[in-house]
Amino acid sequence: MSLINETSLLTARILRRWSSDAATVAQSLLFPAGFLVALNVVLGDGVKRVTGTSALYGSVPLVSLIGATSGAIIVAVGVMRERDDGLLARFWVVPSHRASGLLSRLLAEAVRIVVITSFVMCVGLLLGFRFNQGFPQAVAWLFMPTVFGVAFSAVVMTIALYAQNTLVPQATEVIAAVMFFFSTGFVPLDQFPKWLQPFVEHQPCSFVVEAMRGLSMGGPVLKPVLGTLLWSAGIAAIIAVPLAVGYRRASRRD
Amino acid sequence: MSSTDRAVVVDDLRKSFGSVVALRGISFEVGRGEVLGLLGPNGAGKTTTVDILSTLATPDSGTALVAGHNVRTDPAGVRRSIMLTGQQVALDDMLTGRANLVMFGRLQGLKKAEARSRAAELLERFDLADAADRSVKHYSGGMRRRIDIACGLVVRPEVVFLDEPTTGLDPRSRLAIWELVSDFKADGIATLLTTQYLEEADSLSDRIIVIDRGTIIAEGTADSLKERTGGTYCEIVPRDMMDVPAVAAALGALLPGENRAALTDASDRVVMPAPDGANTLIAALNLVSSADIELQDIALRRPSLDEVFLRLTGQEGAAAVDAGALT
Amino acid sequence: MTVGAIPLSARPAPSTPQQWWTLTTRMIAPTLANGELATQIIGSIVFTVGFYLPLKNILGAVQPMSSYAQYLTPLIVVQAIFFAAVSAAFRSAIDALQGINRRFRAMPMAALTPLAARMTASIYRCVVALVVSLACGHVIGFRFHGPLWHTVGFIALTLLIGAALALVGDLIGAATRNPEATAPLLLVPQVTLGLASVGLQPVERFPGWIQPFVRDQPLSQFLNSMRALAGDSTPAAPPVTWSVIGPALAWVAGIVVVFTWLHARVAARRP
Repeated sequence: MSLINETSLLTARILRRWSSDAATVAQSLLFPAGFLVALNVVLGDGVKRVTGTSALYGSVPLVSLIGATSGAIIVAVGVMRERDDGLLARFWVVPSHRASGLLSRLLAEAVRIVVITSFVMCVGLLLGFRFNQGFPQAVAWLFMPTVFGVAFSAVVMTIALYAQNTLVPQATEVIAAVMFFFSTGFVPLDQFPKWLQPFVEHQPCSFVVEAMRGLSMGGPVLKPVLGTLLWSAGIAAIIAVPLAVGYRRASRRD
Repeated sequence: MSSTDRAVVVDDLRKSFGSVVALRGISFEVGRGEVLGLLGPNGAGKTTTVDILSTLATPDSGTALVAGHNVRTDPAGVRRSIMLTGQQVALDDMLTGRANLVMFGRLQGLKKAEARSRAAELLERFDLADAADRSVKHYSGGMRRRIDIACGLVVRPEVVFLDEPTTGLDPRSRLAIWELVSDFKADGIATLLTTQYLEEADSLSDRIIVIDRGTIIAEGTADSLKERTGGTYCEIVPRDMMDVPAVAAALGALLPGENRAALTDASDRVVMPAPDGANTLIAALNLVSSADIELQDIALRRPSLDEVFLRLTGQEGAAAVDAGALT
Repeated sequence: MTVGAIPLSARPAPSTPQQWWTLTTRMIAPTLANGELATQIIGSIVFTVGFYLPLKNILGAVQPMSSYAQYLTPLIVVQAIFFAAVSAAFRSAIDALQGINRRFRAMPMAALTPLAARMTASIYRCVVALVVSLACGHVIGFRFHGPLWHTVGFIALTLLIGAALALVGDLIGAATRNPEATAPLLLVPQVTLGLASVGLQPVERFPGWIQPFVRDQPLSQFLNSMRALAGDSTPAAPPVTWSVIGPALAWVAGIVVVFTWLHARVAARRP
């Protein structure tokens, strides 16, 4: 069996499990949707007053990212459980390509994030979000959260594979929260204290938000997209080996 | 048994869960220092019985006395006297082995210093001293079961309920638990042992109760149960399968009608009851050898408890009289 | 061989206070070592800074009190308390999952003792949450302006809210038996209620259709009472009267009564 076949099979397994669990579906879709509505109700006017444009161009991307990362942590904890139950070991012993297991997890993450982004986009459209830049840009917009989201998932999963206690990957929620609060998707850049603005401007979440803002509303696209790609590629490069090693170790018993 | 010797008295216990009848009138007794084996297929009512006796469930009707306390009117008294281990190990995974023992000790009323010294004793006794300060989450299956039982022994129970205590354990851990049950006996503690391992029930129990579909279908010592299902039998295996009819003919009157009728073309041996034990075997051997039939094997056999159990609970399988099916 | 396995002495009489204390320390001790406590502290700090710094200008201008810190801190306190309640739920779910509850029920222990111990452990977490969030509030400029007994009332009310939330979380955790799913499930109501309350901005700033909900929902009642008890240098803080504090107390009492009754029913229920 080829790597592509095996990976697709395993990915389908994961996606089937998620879609059959009502609680998972509800949590991963309804929570972002509800949060977006609430966020818009609270901050929509304020941001519009200050910037002159709708807050949705920032909050819709931000909420997609929140959905992506909170789901990533739950997925990572699930992988830990599969490790402790011996399921990872069982998959390892099957005569399939060694990379298929890990690739399937990352691919499933990508699919999950695209689905969440689409759902949040629909809610945003209902609230007044619009694509002003054309179809190819809209497609690129849809995949932006996935680019960074998969890198983030890889990091959380690596942490989970090396940890014994589920509290450790859950602690990454704190880091994610910092990224969200201090991004331009929450409030515009000039609202932050001067000394924080460099951090806010250059952290990965803001790059994703600004790239998506440019691709939907209008404005600079090249710089934030580059920023997103650099962050994602950099994280991926650093985490790739530890992730592979960790997955292998978790699947074996030595 | 006088009333003071009876650790557990169960009289006509009935229990239903909605439309499902779990117990249809169970009665038995367990004396002090006695080990009672509780056998039965899954869903027979064993766990329900244990649940009722440990006050985790209330019976619909009937009475049950544990260490003299009525489970319905004095459940607190029952709980003070029992130790319960379930199929699932019940520990706090976030604590070490020692911490678990100390916690259960203090929950049972020991002072902190007493609980600590008791914990040290038990760790020693159960060979867990090296692992005492590791989290129980990282113990092996056998270690977890040992610490689980140790936690139930921080204070002295009068009645012990062991629900499948050795399932999944390595032989060494199993032996350790068997020794423990002997200790209970020596100390006058009554044990109610539920097990799927029939040889475990056979070697540990003083008496056995077989439950099926909510009623007791057999009761007695392991030996008496084996007797009931046919007792000793003699098995004669000719070297050549084709000789089986010749063997049957040679045995003549020694082979009862029903055993003769049970022989088929596929039979490779002749089985018959041996009421005289070795004498029956000698007689059969004489008859067969004078007919000049070459034998592969001739032996006396007792039914195993497996066979007793399967027969009593009506499952597919062999009773002692079924020729051929025993192979 | 017999020596050591089975004690020969008579059984001691267990006492409920000792049992309650043993179960409580059993839950608290691990958190000190395994980072739960540290996560809680850091989480509170992140929440404080994360709400205050970005929103200070945008929303700070439209609220009536002396500073946004004075307005916002009660929400930060409640969020921290909520996290403590969620950890209580998590712990309860783990216990239910591990089967240790069954063992407790077959021991000479009052039926509600395990629950009481879990509640005590939760209150401890709430106290930590309270201390940390008040410290953070102090750093950004929050102050208590009222007399001492108002401050005591603030603390008491907060802990009562924490107890009520912990009761709710505990029952949900025991019912779901799935610790990983429980925390996210509780996150949704927390965030939604938090955003749709007077925590970040006053009622008038919300669209008309949602204002009744924002004004009357329990979180807003809690926050009003807390702001009243904390006071302010301007007259913008609500006054400490029964019409302000009453609804909050009624909500807390209602939740405690309903959920204690539910818990007692579940604990006493034998199949």
